[in-house]
Amino acid sequence: MKRILALLSSDIGRKALMGLTGLLMIGFLIMHMAANLLVPFSKEAYNAYSHTLTSSPQIYLITLVELALLALFAGHFVTGIVVTLKNWGARPVAYQRKDPAGGPSRKSLASSTMIYTGLVMLAFVPLHLATFKYGTVYEVATPTGEVRDLYRLAIEVFRNPLQSAWYLIALALLGAHAWHGFGSGFESLGVAHKVGLRRFGQALAVILMLGFMVVPVYVLLGGGAS
Amino acid sequence: MSTMTVKVRVWRQPSPDQEGRLVDYAVDNVVADMSFVEMIDVLNEQLVAKGEDTVAFDSDCREGICGSCGCVVNGVPHGPGTGKTACQLFMRAFTDGDTLVVEPFRAKAFPVLKDLCVDRGAFDRIIAAGGYISANTGAAQDGNQMLIGKDIAEKAFDAAACIGCGACVAACKNASAVLFVSAKVAHLSYLPQGQPERTRRVVRMVEQMEKEGFGACSNEGECEAVCPKEISTLHIQILQRDYLRAVLRGA
Ligand code: SF4
Ligand code: FES
Repeated sequence: MKRILALLSSDIGRKALMGLTGLLMIGFLIMHMAANLLVPFSKEAYNAYSHTLTSSPQIYLITLVELALLALFAGHFVTGIVVTLKNWGARPVAYQRKDPAGGPSRKSLASSTMIYTGLVMLAFVPLHLATFKYGTVYEVATPTGEVRDLYRLAIEVFRNPLQSAWYLIALALLGAHAWHGFGSGFESLGVAHKVGLRRFGQALAVILMLGFMVVPVYVLLGGGAS
Repeated sequence: MSTMTVKVRVWRQPSPDQEGRLVDYAVDNVVADMSFVEMIDVLNEQLVAKGEDTVAFDSDCREGICGSCGCVVNGVPHGPGTGKTACQLFMRAFTDGDTLVVEPFRAKAFPVLKDLCVDRGAFDRIIAAGGYISANTGAAQDGNQMLIGKDIAEKAFDAAACIGCGACVAACKNASAVLFVSAKVAHLSYLPQGQPERTRRVVRMVEQMEKEGFGACSNEGECEAVCPKEISTLHIQILQRDYLRAVLRGA
């Protein structure tokens, strides 16, 4: 505990924690996205997957994972906000003119807007949970009994163009956040900057973004109609 | 020799607690082979002739090795181009009639003393906190007694090239001193002489960096792009690893 507090007393420690929590959340997002890709292919498989996750006897395990995710999310945004406020305070008088330095600099639109894209995620995640996890519970009969029809809810939500638009925007911002965040996260943990790792992270960010966009786009194009 | 006239919009601030502002001057008789600081000398001669207060700025060696000079020219610390200090920025980088916006390095940890002069004492205090090795004095031992691989020696030299100018802080959107501190930690961490105090050094230097009010590293690398010695951000990972290891082991 003392060591964790010591870690939190410096920016290097806070950023390491921010990097670690961010990278673990990317790991979760990869799983989440892969499961979403079931939607266009099989309503049954998708519902069965969500049913497995929410039904006993592993329910305590799932709850543990959910609590861990909540801790990651909270840890990430608390360190993010603390560090950003301190960063803003580190230059009280702004430059009249400040240009990008170019050359080896990796500064990008994504890297310059992390706090803003992050704040959108802070709003997005609770809304997303309210819409789906704690949203309308439809039931559907299957050979093995009644299960929650999450598929129906997903189709219903994304039929609403406003919902879909909000999701597409949020996902684009998530992609931008991960674009810089993946490589930066590793660097904050002391992994030497390598172009390859950074590019891999950028590719992963685009794949995540496009993968998550599949469901709303599928529904907007008329998928899941019957 | 043909001369040119440049417009200089320079930050004038009479004292640390007075408000500053950009003031426009036209500087005549500028020669392409003059350095940027020599151009400021010419401006100051004009001001002296008019009986006005000269523009305060730091410079010493004027050959790019001491780290005294430094200001932000047209939005970039040490001005356009790479691997040079303001005293090695030559007026041939500009053309007749150009406007140069000149500001001090800005950071809470680098308070403006006057005009372009800032107090970089924060860097000295970080070094004093641990950026040294304790060695017995006396006759130097034979150079070949302690074998150090060429690759390691090169890395240490690269980090040791930091002249403490502060451009990295000035360039960083967070006014972070991480590149400077990493250079000062890493050049000792690479070498056997740096090992005995390695853990203590990094913890103390990071603690001092925190106290001085610098920001955190966002891994953007603006610092490396403006560094006159082109110190690589790769040294930052040595700083992070040494620090994280030290703290997690309870140092
Ligand atoms: S790291 Fe480079 S920019 Fe920073 S103080 Fe050292 S020489 Fe100057
Ligand atoms: S005056 Fe010494 S580096 Fe410029």
